[in-house]
Amino acid sequence: MGAIDRQQLLEFYEGMLRIRFFEEKIRDVLHPQGLLRGSSHLCIGQEAVAVGAMHALQQDDYVLSTHRGHGHALAKGMEPYVMFAEILGRKSGCCQGKGGSMHLAETALNFVGQAPVVGSNAPMGAGLALAARLEGSSRLAATFFGEGALNTGAFQEAANIAALWRLPVIFLCENNLYAISVPLDKSSAVTRLESRLCCYGIEGRRVNGMDVVEVYEAVQQATEQMRTEPFPAYLVFDTYRFQGHHTADKESYRPTEEAIAEFRERDPIHILEYKMIDDHTVDIDTTIEYRDRIRDEIDRAFEKAVAAPWPEPREALNGVYAQKEAE
Amino acid sequence: MSERIRNVTFAQAIRTAIREEMKHDEKVILFGEDVAQYGGVYGATTGLQHEFGDDRVRDTPISEMAIAGMAVGAALAGYRPIAEIMYCDFLTQASDAIVNHAAKWRYMSGEQFKLPLVVRSPAGGGAGYAAQHSQALEAWFVHIPGLKVVMPSSPRDARGLLKAAIRDDNPVVFIEHKDHYSYKAEMPTAEEIIPLGSAEVKWQGTDCTLVAWSKTLTYALQAAEHLAKEGISVEVIDPRTLQPLDTDTICNSVAKTGHLVIAHEAVKFGGFGAEIAAQVVEKAWDNLTKPPLRIGAPFVPLPYSQPLETFVIPQVKDVVKQITEYLGA
Repeated sequence: MGAIDRQQLLEFYEGMLRIRFFEEKIRDVLHPQGLLRGSSHLCIGQEAVAVGAMHALQQDDYVLSTHRGHGHALAKGMEPYVMFAEILGRKSGCCQGKGGSMHLAETALNFVGQAPVVGSNAPMGAGLALAARLEGSSRLAATFFGEGALNTGAFQEAANIAALWRLPVIFLCENNLYAISVPLDKSSAVTRLESRLCCYGIEGRRVNGMDVVEVYEAVQQATEQMRTEPFPAYLVFDTYRFQGHHTADKESYRPTEEAIAEFRERDPIHILEYKMIDDHTVDIDTTIEYRDRIRDEIDRAFEKAVAAPWPEPREALNGVYAQKEAE
Repeated sequence: MSERIRNVTFAQAIRTAIREEMKHDEKVILFGEDVAQYGGVYGATTGLQHEFGDDRVRDTPISEMAIAGMAVGAALAGYRPIAEIMYCDFLTQASDAIVNHAAKWRYMSGEQFKLPLVVRSPAGGGAGYAAQHSQALEAWFVHIPGLKVVMPSSPRDARGLLKAAIRDDNPVVFIEHKDHYSYKAEMPTAEEIIPLGSAEVKWQGTDCTLVAWSKTLTYALQAAEHLAKEGISVEVIDPRTLQPLDTDTICNSVAKTGHLVIAHEAVKFGGFGAEIAAQVVEKAWDNLTKPPLRIGAPFVPLPYSQPLETFVIPQVKDVVKQITEYLGA
């Protein structure tokens, strides 16, 4: 595992467990109990991408996420409580209950938010990167997206300008093989997705998105150069969502159970656990300890959020416009 | 009274506002198609790249989605981008970033962010650009909570309102009339900021309130002048900003005249005139002596041929005729 030390591995492990247990709480409690409004897009199976990437990014780097963004938010440092409270529509949620599952944001963490109109966050990421470039800082903008976003005009327009203007934006593609129900080979003329931006001079790189260490190292390597010589980077992570597109998805498009099982064998949390145990980084008791602690943390955050007060209905009218007008 | 410059074109007024604001605040940046080296297809940004450099004034590829989306991103990072969309009709391509993101990001995030951006776009017909380069789509954008919509009718207003729009912490859709760029009028030399949401009585009168904006305001003033000779006293009001809308100035005028006419170039059905009429009916019903009259384009795309286009867009004579009938009936 090269330069990755024990402490870092345990941070990766903890980060992935936090996402997994947070999402399982939504799947197993919020959704079945009818506490969830609209729907929620779970990233169970994709935790390694969020955690590995966010550890390689710096605190002041801007992050834009998608509809499937709980993992990105947690990995960027958001508290499970403010996220649960937001998803439950409570006043103490990160967005005062006005955003919900698809619009989590926290400006203090530079988690700029989720842009769930697929493809729309690529131009926004380029805009954030333009700002970073103009202010002469070494910060960069990271935009996460699913492979479906590559087919949007907005994404392709943004990729062209980002390369043309040499903007420090990193495009992080989570290829989970399905755009809702449509499989990759039915939506993209080229399934080697790492080649899809090469016409703009942006070389893509395919990365095993189920291995958090590989993700971390790939993002670290890609961003290192961007900070001194701005130019867009593009990584494609092979991953898989173990759940439906959203909480109510019937998943009729999935292949046979055997094929899914194959992916389940590549569960990113198990992969890291096996690695750490094989390497004698940790023993099984330590993993159990971590699991119990994080599960307990999630349980407590959830209980606290369920008990949190609702917003006053009239608060719906607040906050449409910023007050500052021209002086 | 300040010294005045005469014969300033609308395009010069826009340029003056951007130039002053770029000097005032280094966070103000400008990008769009052909705005830099070429100075804009209507010349409104001539010389700005030369003065402020390649970083702050940029030509973009033909990528409306990216132009508007990048403006959102740059605004979220604390810049004050001015994005130009070459024709109002192309706002349809940029509308995801404007409608779904710029307008809502602050609200959705529980007021964590502000979005100080301006999207400038030329609208309107009269020059034979046909159906896809001539629309007046203001009614689409006033319907979106979170956006402000400005439509100036004179160089002085254009400069003062654009300066206010650039300094505002909210996304502003700033719609200019493409037939207006060479229109000359007085503009003060002194810096002037006109607050968004303030209408102006452009012509005083007592018999009828006529609300119009953008190029139709110019027609409204000509109509008022013509009607004055026939003994009909029209009060012409330019709301200048449609969102926020200064209904007080309009209602105060109606309290005096008892009659309300709204004239605009956009299609009458679902046009912004309907909103103004409804506002006045709700707020000042007792002051109206008869129902409001709306003047707008018939429900057709804008045709190319001159007689067809002139027939569709309300002209001075149409405003005169309809007001005469309205007051006489």
